[in-house]
Amino acid sequence: MIWFGAEIDGPMVVARAVHFAATATTAGALMFRAVVAEPALRLESKTGVVVDRQIRDLAWVGLAIALVAGAGWLLLQTSAMSGQTCGEAVVSGALITVLNETQFGLVTEIRFALALALAICLAYDRLLLPRWLALGAALCLVAAIAWTGHAASTPHKLGYLHLTADALHLYAAAAWTGGLMSLLLLLKAARHDRAAAGTELDAVRRFSLLGMTSVATLVLTGIINAWILVGSFRGLIATDYGWILLLKIALFCAMVGFAAVNRFWLTPRLALPGNALRNLTHNTKAEIALALLVFAVVGVLGTLHPAAHLVK
Amino acid sequence: MKPSSLIGVASLLFLFATCAAQAHAFLERAEPRVGNKVAAPPREVTLWFTQKLEPAFSSVTVTNAAGERIDTGKARVSGNQMSVSLRPGGTGTYRVNWHVLSVDTHTTDGNFTFQVGQ
Repeated sequence: MIWFGAEIDGPMVVARAVHFAATATTAGALMFRAVVAEPALRLESKTGVVVDRQIRDLAWVGLAIALVAGAGWLLLQTSAMSGQTCGEAVVSGALITVLNETQFGLVTEIRFALALALAICLAYDRLLLPRWLALGAALCLVAAIAWTGHAASTPHKLGYLHLTADALHLYAAAAWTGGLMSLLLLLKAARHDRAAAGTELDAVRRFSLLGMTSVATLVLTGIINAWILVGSFRGLIATDYGWILLLKIALFCAMVGFAAVNRFWLTPRLALPGNALRNLTHNTKAEIALALLVFAVVGVLGTLHPAAHLVK
Repeated sequence: MKPSSLIGVASLLFLFATCAAQAHAFLERAEPRVGNKVAAPPREVTLWFTQKLEPAFSSVTVTNAAGERIDTGKARVSGNQMSVSLRPGGTGTYRVNWHVLSVDTHTTDGNFTFQVGQ
């Protein structure tokens, strides 16, 4: 498949993109619950109970999709590493070699264990300790992705900077994407509960803070990653990797545009009569659609050789 | 932050970013050096790459002027370095073929030659 002039491994890109988006959704939903939903809504209120259950369901759906897409990614990656078909790679023992002898395999095993721990914690989610452990497991599940990608093989001390930036980038992306989906659920539930009037405003304000922190983190860590992987302005405009990264940045800017309208125009008008809540809901849906497109682009970027080693 | 100022800041930083390029699992240097001449047959060939390697999927073969394989088989991999021991292979042009998988799961390969003796 040719995309923007670059040779793309279609199934691998799809498996990666779906896995990243689903993992981010799960972790982001649990982050949203901890820093937005719980403080803004009283858990014993009707809306509180509904939103809590819906966020847990969202985390479950994300985890299930992440597991299936993750298994697909492992098989396709093994096939690419060994030069065999997926079936041959399982029969010949290449899959075992990848799992036991490569960093990608080791990280995949650790992440599988984290996913199981997360599932157990979600099952006992009504208790306080499993709730916090679920958040911890989800955060580790997202951050560990950094060790499967370009950041993992950057040598020397620069490698530590790259891994840190990548892990923070993943956290921020997860908080924003999973947070937007959870916010949508919260706004919908609050609209049908008169007793919850006013909680939308509190929740939206809290989410704004989470969103702005995420945007700042994404910009800073994105610049560090681009500096390491693209390296120069020429790398940005003269390679497939650079062009696809520019597409990602454009999508990100569009997301920030919607977020800015939500934060600076619609949020102050939530308490006033009018369509502010409905517009906020529409914009949130648009932001989610853009976020999913960003994950599709990320799926492509990780399979390409970074610009930095094509432009010297 | 407004999108327009964000784009401005990002482009400025990209412009200022210097070429700190970390190439991806490409050959950085080798001993004996690529294309160079050494007096006596070397006992091993060592290759340094721009990225950390996966031992399970990285290999190197060395052939002498007669086209016979003179490496002893399995390469030793440590970080971004890969070595293989050689049997005596006489004088002439030695060819090194390498195929490596970097830790970030990218595969690259290449080859180079060096001269032994007069």
